[in-house]
Amino acid sequence: MQNLTKNLSRPAGQAASGRRPPPRSVSRRFLAVWLPWWPVERLAGRRPEVRDQPFVTVSDVRGRQVVAAGNRQAVQAGLGPGTSLADARAILPQVVAVLADSSADERALESLARWAFRFTPRVALAAPDAFFLDVGGCAHLFGGERALASEVRAKLKGFGLTSRGGLAGAPGAAWALARYGGDDLGVAPDGAGLAERKKALGRLPVAALRLDEDVAAALASFGLDKIRALLDVESVQLTERFGPQPSRRLAQVLGLLADPLAPLRPLPLREAKRSFAEPVSRPEDVQAAADALLEDLCETLRRAGEGARRVRLVCHRVDGRPQALEVGTSRPVRRREPLARLFAEKLKQVAAGFGIEEMTLTAEAVEAVVEEQLGWTAANGPFGGEHAGQGAASGFAAPPSAHVPTRTRSESTRAGEAGLGQLGGLEAGESARALAALVDRLGNRFGFDRVVRPAPRQSWKPERAVRLHAFDGRAPQAREPGAQDRSRSTTVPPPDSRRPPDPWAASAWRGGAPRPVRLASPPQAVQVAEFRGDGVPVSFRLGGDLHWLRAAEGPERLEAEWWREDAPARDYYVFEAEDGRRYWIYRELCDPARFAASAFAGIRAASPPRWFLHGFFG
Amino acid sequence: MVIAAASKVEIIEADNLSRPIDRYGFCSVSFGMVQATKDRQAALRRALGRIEEAGGGERAHLPLGIPAIDGALPGGGLRKGCVHEVGGDAAATGFCAAVLARAGAAGGSLLWLAGDGRLGRLYPPGLLRYGIGPERLVTATGLRRPGDVAWAFEEALRSRAVKGVVAESPPLGTTASRRLMLAAEGSDVVGLLLAQGTCNGAGVVPTAASRWRIVSAPDEDPGQGGSERRRVRWRTGRTAWRVELLRCRGGKPFERIVRWEDERAAVAESGQIPCRI
Repeated sequence: MQNLTKNLSRPAGQAASGRRPPPRSVSRRFLAVWLPWWPVERLAGRRPEVRDQPFVTVSDVRGRQVVAAGNRQAVQAGLGPGTSLADARAILPQVVAVLADSSADERALESLARWAFRFTPRVALAAPDAFFLDVGGCAHLFGGERALASEVRAKLKGFGLTSRGGLAGAPGAAWALARYGGDDLGVAPDGAGLAERKKALGRLPVAALRLDEDVAAALASFGLDKIRALLDVESVQLTERFGPQPSRRLAQVLGLLADPLAPLRPLPLREAKRSFAEPVSRPEDVQAAADALLEDLCETLRRAGEGARRVRLVCHRVDGRPQALEVGTSRPVRRREPLARLFAEKLKQVAAGFGIEEMTLTAEAVEAVVEEQLGWTAANGPFGGEHAGQGAASGFAAPPSAHVPTRTRSESTRAGEAGLGQLGGLEAGESARALAALVDRLGNRFGFDRVVRPAPRQSWKPERAVRLHAFDGRAPQAREPGAQDRSRSTTVPPPDSRRPPDPWAASAWRGGAPRPVRLASPPQAVQVAEFRGDGVPVSFRLGGDLHWLRAAEGPERLEAEWWREDAPARDYYVFEAEDGRRYWIYRELCDPARFAASAFAGIRAASPPRWFLHGFFG
Repeated sequence: MVIAAASKVEIIEADNLSRPIDRYGFCSVSFGMVQATKDRQAALRRALGRIEEAGGGERAHLPLGIPAIDGALPGGGLRKGCVHEVGGDAAATGFCAAVLARAGAAGGSLLWLAGDGRLGRLYPPGLLRYGIGPERLVTATGLRRPGDVAWAFEEALRSRAVKGVVAESPPLGTTASRRLMLAAEGSDVVGLLLAQGTCNGAGVVPTAASRWRIVSAPDEDPGQGGSERRRVRWRTGRTAWRVELLRCRGGKPFERIVRWEDERAAVAESGQIPCRI
């Protein structure tokens, strides 16, 4: 042990942060589930007729069909992996062969692992035939970790899957125990000392360390076939001879070195869960359960001082196919009613099948909520008119990254003032909340990218002068012209960007030439039919109709940004037809570079100017 | 409801009208009977109007700011809490924007439900001159499936979250229209339904409280030009609309030409053209 830690303190390329021992406060426990007959049992589940026959999957290896995996009867008859299909047929003529599909296996394993979210929020895959459950802290809900493991295995058995489990304080050890422990459930006791852990793992073969093949072969050639043998070798020698892998894996398996898992999904921030004694399938029952879950979740959020921006409801069905619904909100919410209203529409989509045995409700995105005070200058106060006990969100809650509501009062006050002074204030109180609820309902039906607020964008090109940004409860008004935070950046901000719009662009909307109420997109080509000598347009033809002009106003030259080479400048005119309708029509100026080239060639204006209809005035 | 209102009228008007009714109203033969009935009808009408506008006329109706139009509308403006249908060309969009801006003049958000783009893409910079700034407008774009607009419109009317809604919609069925009517009832929301396509008599919402047709009009008398017809001027005139009220509950249809004044940000009567009723 001394040697090991000493020698490991100078690693080859491994991050020093990985060296920190795992936190002692919560004992970490992992359950590894290994499915020894995974691909064949998966396929047998689809084809019940092959269950009692020898059955193999085959794959192409260099033009030869070779057995990839076989079921129990096939393996007992000697049809192990690597046997060619021809040999297998010779040995066992009645063998059923199916083409192996590793990607389907992987997908099925992932969905199986997702099924396991019902036991713990942290599940990770260990392809090709195992997965991990981080059961630390949640085993007691199932009556202890052994009971949990046997429940997992019993459910898997219900799906027709044979499994073996390994329970240990490190994922590597759990996997080793499941894979090579030889028992249905191998357990390294919780809180065991290093010596005990060494003893528990020492009897396992070296392959239990998940080494690369060549490394394992090299170790085998030295006669180091058990982990016990490796423990006797000094780590520095191990590293010198076999590279860093064996000693690192050894340390990970013993829990001396962190072995990070890649969980299938990020840890949900807040969660509520209900299991049912009997599977439910009636819509009313599902509704009632969802209501109860919402109540629980909202209570959790209230205690944490947070509001949910995205909530996900997963119904675990008896047949292992979870159904998920998700709703989003434009502002952090932690009251039950608005969320219930959003879910009410979607709950109709739940297909209960043979019944739902468990439902989980998770807040996938949360934001800190600043408590609001009721009735304190409801219209002007930065805190709007919100009762603290009701605890709906204000519009200027913390940025989305803030999961922990550690903001001080002064911070939030400052944020409120900033919101008032620079963003034109929040729509306070009741109507703001009603508006947010309305936007949520529309957004959950049509998508939040469809329910937007138009805001000015800094571009002279009319199509680009409007930016539609997602509704987030605050008015997108430009700041005072004095506030100099002029950003020249032209990158399109993400839709939920909280950057206030550019004051330059806002003034561009306001001042100057008239703008139409409707745009033709894309612009329609028109023929401006007649010119007098001075270049006055007299009429134009749109489609088949000829429009005589009463008046024309312009031109207003609008150029695209210089870095957009493809867009030529445009001369915009307002055409007023005889019936009083006004059209926004532009003439495309030819590209200066091309114009120069044609001038050199002695050709002026090689093609007639092109006119386009771009908008209609109201 | 109506019965209750009528009985209330009796009580309210009893003081004012007690003498004439006593003397003539219940006499079977009298030269004054016709007059008395007229008086009585007028009084009833006044009282009904007062009941309808319970909570103040300001709240129940949205004046458009033109005496000639407001005077012709019952209650002196567009009724709040119901759906009005507007058709026409691009001028209808401008008209809707102007009404919407008036609806939200006292604060509050405005919602524009853009339909499938048959009318062209809504361009918010153009709405600014009618008084709708980006800070108040929420738009829902690309509601393509049938029923989307009606659903969203109903939600918006029911929510009481916005002061005015414009919905661009294809013709709606009777059921959807009735739902809209019920959703808007009792609120102070102005619901405008901007008809996609031309609005010729046959309405888009059968239950609309009023039906308008707005088209662009030349700002001047079209007969004035004469021989100079082909002369194109380098300055466009003011925005002018031909406003036709096709149908209105409790009002008479009319037609006017009005002008949009950018300086005042208000509609004004066009001075040069005699109004035709």
